[in-house]
Amino acid sequence: MHNGVDKIGSSVDIAGVAHVFRRGDMVTHAIEHVDLTIAAGEFVAIVGPSGCGKSTLLRIVAGLLRNSAGNVKVAGRDVTGPQTEIGIVFQSPVLLDWRNVLDNVLVQLELRGLDPAKYRDEALRLLGKVGLGDFTDRMPRELSGGMRQRCAIVRGLIHDPPLLLMDEPFGALDALTREQMRIDLEKLWLDRRHTTLFVTHGISEAVALADRVIVMTPRPGKIDRIIDIDLPRPRNKEIIASAKFSEYCEEITECFMRRGVIQY
Amino acid sequence: MTALLNWTKRRAGPLIVFAILLLLWEFGVKLFGIKEYLLPPPSKVWVEFLKRAPAVMDAAYVTSRQLLAGYLLSIVVSVPLALVVARSRFVEQSIYPVVVFLQIIPKIAIAPLFIIWLGFGFAPKVIIVFLLCFFPIVVASVAGFKSVDPEIADFARTTGASEWKLFRTIQLPQALPDIFTGLKVGAALSATAAIVAEFVAADRGLGYLLLQYNGQFETAMVFAIIIILSVIGLAVYYAVELIERLAIPWHVSQRPAGVTGA
Repeated sequence: MHNGVDKIGSSVDIAGVAHVFRRGDMVTHAIEHVDLTIAAGEFVAIVGPSGCGKSTLLRIVAGLLRNSAGNVKVAGRDVTGPQTEIGIVFQSPVLLDWRNVLDNVLVQLELRGLDPAKYRDEALRLLGKVGLGDFTDRMPRELSGGMRQRCAIVRGLIHDPPLLLMDEPFGALDALTREQMRIDLEKLWLDRRHTTLFVTHGISEAVALADRVIVMTPRPGKIDRIIDIDLPRPRNKEIIASAKFSEYCEEITECFMRRGVIQY
Repeated sequence: MTALLNWTKRRAGPLIVFAILLLLWEFGVKLFGIKEYLLPPPSKVWVEFLKRAPAVMDAAYVTSRQLLAGYLLSIVVSVPLALVVARSRFVEQSIYPVVVFLQIIPKIAIAPLFIIWLGFGFAPKVIIVFLLCFFPIVVASVAGFKSVDPEIADFARTTGASEWKLFRTIQLPQALPDIFTGLKVGAALSATAAIVAEFVAADRGLGYLLLQYNGQFETAMVFAIIIILSVIGLAVYYAVELIERLAIPWHVSQRPAGVTGA
């Protein structure tokens, strides 16, 4: 039904976007003048130190937060309120405790007024793809953190959104689970080719997943460098172990060293 | 049905302990020769109760009706009020503090006022039960309605679902565990409230009978009424717990066993 390699994701145009948080007299410049164009179907990762405003930027693209300046377009349309043509995944899985795994995925469709029964098979297929095939009738509390997060990712994808926004989706997971999730996510993306904006702290995670890595400066967040990752897919363990992969990671690390984010 | 069976199974322990206590009481009274008007043995309480069972059961019916009416009224008022408080910043900042302040007034002290206003009948008792049960239900329900994770709310906003659908699908189920905690606290208070209401002014009901028997030194009957009252209170409490078990099994089973808020 959705085996849409031919399906085209949404493009994202971010022009001169800035955001300022005000709390009493305190003014915090979260992000300053960000320009970024993401092509349809592209996988873009944003890396940056804590508090650099990368999550803020993602929330602005989702229309969950109003930008103080600049303009954001998704699929050519101005973002003025919460976007519905997207899938969103946060650092914590935020599942509904009273629903089993399958129903937690299907809630996406219920809330959208779509018929969940029509998506049942697709949900089961995706859950199988991320290793939850035998757990579809389990309750969230019966799952490990990694399994819950996989369920949340499938929930973010089930309605086949043209744009997937992921805010440190693997942030709370252990290293092994992270690695597996990274592999699973790439599989899903190769399957669907939805435009993906992926926010992370992890340098190698960003390089392993993305077509382009956006390196942000410390607060106020600006784009420091944009690095094209020219590595074949799927990014198997030979590619991850290659010299070229390490060079990309090195390049990003150096950006952070120049800014004093990483000091030796 | 299995829920009911499991529930009975888990209560077996307390029931056995209770039976042992009754036996100790029975033989203790006989062994130490305690006078019956001070502490009648359970067997005497039972015999006396059987003699006057029709009158006591009539009174129990009167009291139960008041208790249930007041309790249900408090649920019907508290839960929607809690929802309004949770959803409206204005109501939370203007009306809720007043509700909290009013809670500080000892409600038992104002019970006589309701007698003046509403007379000796059904209404003042219902109001007193309502007043005592109302607050814990409101407080717990407000907490419940506000407990939706902000990220779940963000996710929900990206689906474009209507407010009503979000309420039904997310906010209400999320609030149910807290609401039930409040309902159980209220249930535990309701029997106290009903009897206090009858102490203040009544010409029937268990509270009225209790004062009568007390005045006549019919201690066995006083005990009988206390037991009947406790049974009524327990019945309400466990009815709520049973409904909770059926309504939110996902929550009940992840909580350690025990009595919440009683």
